[in-house]
Amino acid sequence: MTAAAPLVALVGNPNAGKSSLFNALTGARQKIANYPGVTVERKSGRTTFADGRPVELIDLPGSYSLTPASPDEAVTRDVVLGRQDGERRPDALIIVVDAGNLANHLCFALELIAHGLPTVIALNMVDMARRDGLEIDAARLAADLGVSVVETVAVRRRGLADVMAALDVAILAGARPATAAPTTDRALHDRARALATAATLSEKPVERWTATLDRIVLHPVGGFLILLALLFVMFQAVYAWSEAPIGWIEASVSAAQQAVSAALPDGFWRGLIVEGVLAGVGGVIVFLPQILILFLFILLLEATGYMTRAAFLMDGLMARVGLSGRGFIPLLSSFACAIPGIMATRAIPDAKDRLTTILIAPLMTCSARLPVYTVIIGAFIPDRTVAGTPVGLQGLVLLGLYLSGIIGALLVALLLRRTVTRGSAAGIMMELPRYQAPRVGDILLGLWQRAWAFLRRAGTIIMATTVVLWLLLSYPKVPIGSAQSQTDYSVAGRIASGLEVVIRPIGFNRDIALALIPAMAAREVAVAALATANAVDANGDEAAMAKTLGDTLAGKWSLATALAFLAWFVFAPQCISTIAVVRRETNSWRWPLFMVGYLFALAYAAAGLTYWVAVGLGLG
Amino acid sequence: MTVSLATLPLGQRARIARIDWPSLSPDEGRRLRELGLMEDVEVEALHRGSLFSRDPLAVKIGRMQVVIRGRHAAAIMVDVLAQDAVAA
Repeated sequence: MTAAAPLVALVGNPNAGKSSLFNALTGARQKIANYPGVTVERKSGRTTFADGRPVELIDLPGSYSLTPASPDEAVTRDVVLGRQDGERRPDALIIVVDAGNLANHLCFALELIAHGLPTVIALNMVDMARRDGLEIDAARLAADLGVSVVETVAVRRRGLADVMAALDVAILAGARPATAAPTTDRALHDRARALATAATLSEKPVERWTATLDRIVLHPVGGFLILLALLFVMFQAVYAWSEAPIGWIEASVSAAQQAVSAALPDGFWRGLIVEGVLAGVGGVIVFLPQILILFLFILLLEATGYMTRAAFLMDGLMARVGLSGRGFIPLLSSFACAIPGIMATRAIPDAKDRLTTILIAPLMTCSARLPVYTVIIGAFIPDRTVAGTPVGLQGLVLLGLYLSGIIGALLVALLLRRTVTRGSAAGIMMELPRYQAPRVGDILLGLWQRAWAFLRRAGTIIMATTVVLWLLLSYPKVPIGSAQSQTDYSVAGRIASGLEVVIRPIGFNRDIALALIPAMAAREVAVAALATANAVDANGDEAAMAKTLGDTLAGKWSLATALAFLAWFVFAPQCISTIAVVRRETNSWRWPLFMVGYLFALAYAAAGLTYWVAVGLGLG
Repeated sequence: MTVSLATLPLGQRARIARIDWPSLSPDEGRRLRELGLMEDVEVEALHRGSLFSRDPLAVKIGRMQVVIRGRHAAAIMVDVLAQDAVAA
């Protein structure tokens, strides 16, 4: 016995429910880090045996075999074989297999068992298998494999104690002699199938739900329309459902501003709190409802198994531009934030396919751009429905912006795959998991994590930049009687004047020049910056203070400028965190710099084109 | 009757007769085997492509559904099974 807590690795095929089991066993006691040298996440957590002795669990990336096809799978192999830097060899394995897909999942299990580590098999999702008419004899399987087999339903926390008990026994019994696994894939599969057949007590050949649903959802025309309709509902909901909560947040921020104004004498602190902190941070927090609605949809689509169907539907289209449907999931996640999206590209086996997907991920409209879009759309696009239909014009413009990003991304991918990331044709080989009812708890936990991350950003980066910006905007004070506004006279105003020369040709004004600099830190700061600048200019003028940011902008900007600003943000300079994550994922500065360069050029061109066309149409 | 999996009608069950391994990269071949696609296995073409393309192809194999590209399917030759010969 070692003094340290035994290290136990969870391994298994993708879609075996491995992460659910890990979550169920460790609860909130999880730690997420990175393996040294690679960008694969190391998820570890603690649990205990029945008598309270601690166990350290690690959740290894899902894999089909010990021969890796992606960086993720290489880590799984190296940890199991004890070759991974920064990780001792596990003392035992919990192999998670899907009871409903035994023949296939046993292949990897056989490979793992042959290595002789103390092993417990978690026969997971037995409830779904049973629903599909499948009865598995766990005792028979255990006898045939020579290791314990425990039935579990991880998402309902069933069988957890049994797994821990079996694990305790297996570790005490110590290592088994390494055995010879069948050496060819063929022999391995035959053996797995024979074992599965022997352990299957009864089987009805139907998986009605999934088959029926797939006939509708994957229909060549109907399925595509369903996908489009889902995306449409998602973007309409972002507007429709958020109206009331946004109103509450705005009212609270404005009440707080009035309370502070009443409590503090006019001066530095009152200005800092009312115009800097409250106007800036309040201007960003207002978007929390919309971000949560967007994430709610993404989390639901993932949890139900629909995401892989979307990948199937999109694969044909993505193949045209040299990508694969595998890239659809990272790209769709990028609608929430490019950072998790770029990290999700690790599952793409082909290196060139992956690099291209990383480079276009920032073109997907991330949730941080939503605040910018919402303010500008709210100010310049009339809130009415389109010609007698219940379709809102504002929602439609928002959808248009998202589509512009997507189309831009596809064109860029096409170009890149013919030039800098030329390579073998990407493919798609993946499993379509069964449909599952999402677990409310998991969805709520996911939403909470997103909300917390956003609020923390609002409280740190965004607050710091808005305060700095307020200082730069408020000093030096404009002399009384001067014709210049406070913004124009300030330090920030003078910096913006320099930048303005460059962006004047594409219709941008000084407000925008001011907003673009801090927006590099986090895109939503653009809104906060506009809000702070307006609050500073409105200083003392009660009527101006009462106007919302949208109203103020509508009075100051031409429609052509507003449209150009939107076009800029479709392609725009990504935030610094995104650049950092691309640097980490591609392991060089070359690709992030390339990405920043092409995005800047594209944004400038798109904004310019939009502006000139709009002016040509008489909207200047 | 032997046809390529790429041209197998949807809903038709078939048994894989042979796979042209050399036309696939070693990684692709291994991935196919890991997903259970190998000689002598029964498959059924379930869904093919969407509005814009005939790619990819969803194949039922055992209790699993697997998605591959038409290019991979073209390397897989299958014997069409008579419907009544399929075990219920």
